[in-house]
Amino acid sequence: MKQPDKFSMRTETQEGRCIVYMGGELDLESAAQMRAAMAPLVELTDRELVLNLRDLEYIDSTGIGILVSVVKARHANEAPFTVEAIPPGIRKLFDMTGITPFLITSQQT
Amino acid sequence: MKANGEIVTLQVPAEAEYIDLVRLTLYGIASKIGFSYEEIEDMKVAVSEACNNVVLHAYSDAPNGRASERNPGHRMEIRFIRLNDALSIIVKDEGRSFDADAAARKAEPLHGKSVGELEAGGLGLYLMQALMDQVEVHSETGTEVVMTKRLAKSGELA
Repeated sequence: MKQPDKFSMRTETQEGRCIVYMGGELDLESAAQMRAAMAPLVELTDRELVLNLRDLEYIDSTGIGILVSVVKARHANEAPFTVEAIPPGIRKLFDMTGITPFLITSQQT
Repeated sequence: MKANGEIVTLQVPAEAEYIDLVRLTLYGIASKIGFSYEEIEDMKVAVSEACNNVVLHAYSDAPNGRASERNPGHRMEIRFIRLNDALSIIVKDEGRSFDADAAARKAEPLHGKSVGELEAGGLGLYLMQALMDQVEVHSETGTEVVMTKRLAKSGELA
């Protein structure tokens, strides 16, 4: 049942910013892939970590749980982390769970 | 699909890679019945959360541990029941029964917490409750989660 492009991640490094573009379905099956890809990026405290969700089609508590651990790790390292281009359906789940204020800066709301 | 109580049953291995198949089946059934795109998205997340719990917890020996190896006998059954004005989805396993009351107490969102207090545990059950009209958890031999979403009256435009 392997679908090659069910979930995709692409990382772009600019000066001072590391942008991770996520697309497809982030569920229990793809969670390990995201966790592994994010682990080294979370440690790069000299630049801002940005997650771009423009092409993300699905998330549930598994993915939100990973975001919670990234928020906590970045906070502990005193390093900036933001999430941008959140699709409305996914924003609804972020608002319901209460994670939104930890993901976006007030200017974006 | 006019009669009441029409049932579609799907039985799959209790593995993460089958959960998208459950979502696809739900999508087909719910759109046939006439649920809106947004309602179907809500149900997709709720049913996935119930399946996540089966895959992560039902067949593991250690508390909160993950099943260490695949076992073809570990399965989950998803029943879609068309009611008069609603869809009930039942997710059932034959694994470890689980303390529904303790889980319900943990099922809370992150509102008003500080970064240090953030905890991902409990979000799954919380989302199920928030996204469906009714959620019941029965735990005797294995666990059965019954989730119901009501169909908005026809002619009522969202």
